[in-house]
Amino acid sequence: MSTDTNELSVHASGVEITGLRKSYGSNEVLKGIDLNVAPGEVVCLIGPSGSGKSTLLRCVNLLEQPNGGTIMVGGFNVTDPDVNLDKMRQQVGMVFQQFNLFPHLTVLENCTISPIKVLKRKKAEAQKVALRNLERVGLGDFGDRYPDQLSGGQQQRVAIARALSMEPTLMLFDEPTSALDPETVGEVLSIMKNLAQAGMTMLVVTHEMAFAKEVADRVFFMDGGVVVEEGKAVDVIGNPQQPRTQDFLRRVLDPTHVDI
Amino acid sequence: MAMTTRQRARMSKTIQIAIFIIAIIALVLAVDWNKAIYAFFSFDKLGPMFPGMILVGLKNTIFYTIISFAFGLILGLLLALMKMASFAPYRWFATAFIEFFRGIPAILVLLAFGFGLPQAFGTQWPQPVNVMCALGLVSAAYIAETLRAGLQAVPKGQTEAARSLGMPAWRAMVTIVIPQAFKIVLPPMTNEIILLTKDTSLAFILGASMAQYEMTKFGRDGISQIDAGITPLVVAGLFYLVITIPLSLVARKFESRAAKTKR
Ligand SMILES: Nc1ncnc2c1ncn2[C@@H]1O[C@H](COP(=O)(O)OP(=O)(O)OP(=O)(O)O)[C@@H](O)[C@H]1O
Ligand SMILES: [Mg+2]
Repeated sequence: MSTDTNELSVHASGVEITGLRKSYGSNEVLKGIDLNVAPGEVVCLIGPSGSGKSTLLRCVNLLEQPNGGTIMVGGFNVTDPDVNLDKMRQQVGMVFQQFNLFPHLTVLENCTISPIKVLKRKKAEAQKVALRNLERVGLGDFGDRYPDQLSGGQQQRVAIARALSMEPTLMLFDEPTSALDPETVGEVLSIMKNLAQAGMTMLVVTHEMAFAKEVADRVFFMDGGVVVEEGKAVDVIGNPQQPRTQDFLRRVLDPTHVDI
Repeated sequence: MAMTTRQRARMSKTIQIAIFIIAIIALVLAVDWNKAIYAFFSFDKLGPMFPGMILVGLKNTIFYTIISFAFGLILGLLLALMKMASFAPYRWFATAFIEFFRGIPAILVLLAFGFGLPQAFGTQWPQPVNVMCALGLVSAAYIAETLRAGLQAVPKGQTEAARSLGMPAWRAMVTIVIPQAFKIVLPPMTNEIILLTKDTSLAFILGASMAQYEMTKFGRDGISQIDAGITPLVVAGLFYLVITIPLSLVARKFESRAAKTKR
């Protein structure tokens, strides 16, 4: 981890998901998922719409309550009913498709509110950390703006800086570029690539196959609530073995086919 | 006699103006203006109403409004949270409360506190407490619905983002959701305070000591004690506007500031 280009020092933790099940009513969305992410590893989740990628990600920080299986994050057993939820979430940064910045707070306040209120950091110290993270995402001069004064790409970069300001040991990304204009997708992906190189553990749901192939250590292909294929990124995307994976990739990579 | 739409529109406008002018002329001719002016505008005779109207009446109207609103706001917030709770009995209770107090006239609730309590429990509360409880209960029912709508208008992603930053549920509510809901509920809340201000006029039916009079009571006493038609009521009305119009203006200012920083 070089500190000259990446000021971030990452203390990364791993994720161990075993037999994860989740149902909405009678609709079983996750049918026993096993997935490990080693500390500092980048894993991308791909798969068709409705296959349960978001649900899986949201189970990891308990935005959704699993119905079965276990999830370990760092030292935390997330699925233990007695787990200190807020303590666990402080370690897990999440970036949403729709950014979800706090519109009534400035960019800087977005990044300092939780460190101050939750981690009980001093304001000056929280601002220092937040500014460093905003500089990291190329928005050091934007602290006084409000979110609606930024482009989509800039908002998503703030969202990443906000998550980093809690100094997480694991980052979850749920289709972070799907709501962006095509010309701003690159700026967000390059920040994520930076973060990966700095040693952050990352679990990323994405439809950006080029990114997955280049940045991810491993790729999981999900369909219908199960992991259909998993392996090294180059193998799963470059040379898929399962017919369902082949079919999915053909549709995603076919430029004449519109797929979201 | 085919007319174009344009001609027909102009014709109908002319007719409306004509009717309006005729009505005004009829009014001017039919009304006995000396009597009317005496009844409504005998301001010169109102000396005895002052300074009590302001020092006691205006003060009490504002005081009753503030305590009723404070009570209604706290209770209303509680009811709004109950109505959104996952525990069903909370929701049932809140719904029943809201439907009941929204559905009956405020004056009945006021009478229940003023005359029902002493009969049922042998206790007599001071006038301000009766007013605060009665109007507070009624306004809580309206405020609860307004707050619930406002809180639910804040996108779910805001709570999720706050929770995933490690905020406990109450902290996400206080720091992220309520400030955004506040901007949404400001206009309906202003309405609520204005309605409440006017509802404090119902206090007069409970009777009260002189020090507890609010503006309508002063107006009514003025009619019977001063030979000035209903001018005392006109003055009371004007003083209500002295409260409500600045309220509207302040709210509008807040709103435009909120609009500037958007959402
Ligand atoms: N809150 C919910 N209540 C009921 N059903 C839900 C809920 N959230 C998701 N689902 C269902 O669970 C299934 C998986 O949804 P999920 O959002 O995890 O899919 P996804 O793989 O992320 O798809 P996409 O690529 O469209 O984001 C879908 O069939 C969806 O309808
Ligand atoms: Mg999804």
